[in-house]
Amino acid sequence: MKKKLISLFLMTSVLAIALCGCAGDKKGDDSSITIGIPQDLEDGLDPHKVEAAGTKEVLFNIFEGLVKPTSDGDFIPAVASAYEISEDGRTYTFTVRDNVKFHDGSKLKTSDVKYSIDRCAGLDGGTPLVAAFSNIEETVADGQTFTVKLKEPDTEFIAYMTAAIIPEANKTPDTNPIGTGPYKFVSRSPQENFIIKKFDDYYNKDLAAHIENVTFKVIGNPDTLAMEMNSGAIDLFARIPTAQAELLDDRFEIMEETMNLVQALYINNAVEPFDDVRVRQALCYAIDPKEIMLFVSDGKGTEIGSSMFPAFSKYYMPELNDTYNQDLDKAKALLEEAGYPDGFTFDITVASNYTQHVDTAQVLKQEFEKIGVTANIKLVEWDSWLSDVYNGRNYTTTVVGVDASSLTASALLERFTSASSKNFINYSNPDYDAAFANAKKATDDDEKTGYYKECLKILSEDAANVYIQDLPEFVALNKKYTGYEFYPLYVQDISKIRLAE
Amino acid sequence: MKYAAKKIVTMVITLILVTFFVFLAFNFISGDAAVSMLGTNASPERLAALRHELGLDEPVLLRYVKWFAGFLRGDFGISYSYRIGVAGMIGEKIPVTLTMALYAFVIMIVISIPLGIFAAMHQEGWIDRGVSVINQVIMAIPPFFSGILITLLFGRIFRLFTPGGYVSYRTDFAGFLGYMFFPALAIALPKAAMAVRLLRGTLIREYNMDYVRTAFSRGNSTKDVLYHHMLKNALLPAVTFFGMALADMIAGSIIVEQVFSIPGLGRILLTSISNRDYPVVMAVIVIISLLVLISNTLVDIIYSLIDPRINLNE
Repeated sequence: MKKKLISLFLMTSVLAIALCGCAGDKKGDDSSITIGIPQDLEDGLDPHKVEAAGTKEVLFNIFEGLVKPTSDGDFIPAVASAYEISEDGRTYTFTVRDNVKFHDGSKLKTSDVKYSIDRCAGLDGGTPLVAAFSNIEETVADGQTFTVKLKEPDTEFIAYMTAAIIPEANKTPDTNPIGTGPYKFVSRSPQENFIIKKFDDYYNKDLAAHIENVTFKVIGNPDTLAMEMNSGAIDLFARIPTAQAELLDDRFEIMEETMNLVQALYINNAVEPFDDVRVRQALCYAIDPKEIMLFVSDGKGTEIGSSMFPAFSKYYMPELNDTYNQDLDKAKALLEEAGYPDGFTFDITVASNYTQHVDTAQVLKQEFEKIGVTANIKLVEWDSWLSDVYNGRNYTTTVVGVDASSLTASALLERFTSASSKNFINYSNPDYDAAFANAKKATDDDEKTGYYKECLKILSEDAANVYIQDLPEFVALNKKYTGYEFYPLYVQDISKIRLAE
Repeated sequence: MKYAAKKIVTMVITLILVTFFVFLAFNFISGDAAVSMLGTNASPERLAALRHELGLDEPVLLRYVKWFAGFLRGDFGISYSYRIGVAGMIGEKIPVTLTMALYAFVIMIVISIPLGIFAAMHQEGWIDRGVSVINQVIMAIPPFFSGILITLLFGRIFRLFTPGGYVSYRTDFAGFLGYMFFPALAIALPKAAMAVRLLRGTLIREYNMDYVRTAFSRGNSTKDVLYHHMLKNALLPAVTFFGMALADMIAGSIIVEQVFSIPGLGRILLTSISNRDYPVVMAVIVIISLLVLISNTLVDIIYSLIDPRINLNE
């Protein structure tokens, strides 16, 4: 009896251990890499329709526009070999390459370019994808030349010409992504992985990918990330939480950058007491971004004073960080002047999945207590945040990070114009609207930059939001690989990664 | 026949109720699939357009009826997030969750029956005492916590497996089974502890019955009495428990999948809830309810096989 029992136990455990030996470690297939992603691609694979940053950063490897962004914030010709912008900023002329192939082997035609851009602009009967596209008056395809005519001059429009060029013949872009990028789609398994492979017929040999097989693996449990990486199952993870990065062994290189977003206490400017500029200014005087950074990410991060992050060096104004320096007496005086000598109580609504924002809200609460203002932190799920706070504007304040959807200043600043549908803080200032309209209209680059800077200054002086920081970002890469590049956009460019010698 | 008809009717009613409430719940929580997909780039026009595309602009009841009609035809609809058929998407994940639950079930039986008998036969011996102390502790641990402990112990300290290093059953079946052992163990342990306690208790009770004394007096050995007389009676309550445990394991695997980051039905269910991808949520809930109902029915049938006095048609 006893013997049988013991042998039974032994058998099961031996079996288990034997089987475990097979799991885990993938043996060195030289030209493959496994990249961990915190969430799956959950909004389809149609490059014109996807919105989630996590989806776009993966699809960046499959699709290309007429031009594509570079890691230093410029644009280089991609599907177009050259482009020209007319003096008045209204006509964009592209020369389309004649040696570009789609992943299905078919040749790219200028009509595909027209189809793609018309689709983005809603000229095919749909709605324009972003407001900027509604500015397109007409598009003309003629031989290898493609022309876009705008209703209003817009010298920043080239940033939108990164929109993916897709074949007109593909009737199922939602599930079968066909592009012209350095990688082509192979297969996917929901919540498990997304697999791409080097595209051998890529037109530009200089920019072709190095690694043959790339697997994006969905990480279900972020708490075991470091263990998984140390076991060799994952080679690269962008935006790794600090706590996990500390657990990695020395086979990994940790690179630091900023996330390129504007983290702030966003204030609903339309509700009492925040409709009074003095109250908003009081909140700005109450806080110290350094203290927040110390608590949230060991002091890493970059202070910001308006809706612009440092990667946009052309527009970023470091002097605005000093519009308000922590001064509790001044804050109290402003509150008294505004009629709140005993302070008041308000809610900070935060999406609970963003630890950094929740942590930030905790520090803010402490800091506001010092000027007699009580903040209650309300945690909500991300989808509720989107529908109630962002789309419904039914909130008082929230901590969140706002990023730029394209490499333009207007991507960050347009939302604060009174009429913008994205103006979730209900900010309204005629001076701001005027400055923004001037910036849009200007065709001279210096003049344009000047107006954008004016916008930033107004936002800062008006204390439209309590600006905090651009969060730090850590990328962990196995030292077997090298070449990772940071972009000022939400992008994972795998084609630059190669094996280390 | 009467039994089968009754079972099927209850099953259908249960499914209708469950799916209807889930459907309603989606209308009470804020946000929908369109808001979730467009995120911070939503404009009223684009939201309206996408809602129309997905059919979200129709009244709730109409959508439910449409869904149910589709379901009856075996059409689970299209996932909003993945734009692929829900049936295929879930079909790929069912083996994962089912393997885990069955694996756990086997582990539970393999551990609990021998251990239960042993403990009962060596009543108040040091092993019996040790087992009951450990039992008490393990019973009190919910599966997700035993999962965390197992990850720590076997994953980090003994390094028997790589936490999160799941391999798909389609690429490497042996590796898959190897990885699944520990999650299955996490689910099985608390249930096994309860089963051991139950079996020990019933065996001891049977031991004091008259028929056992009679059996001994006829000169049977302990082994004979145990295997030929007592066990059959003692197993009856255990089978009920095993059946309930199997249903519990299927449902419980949802949480354990999170701990071990296994892309099974549970992970699909959770992400679909947060994406408001209700065709997927509905399908997963239907599947899980079905599995639970089926396992309950199986218990009833096994019951009547063990004890012919139980007639299912009454």
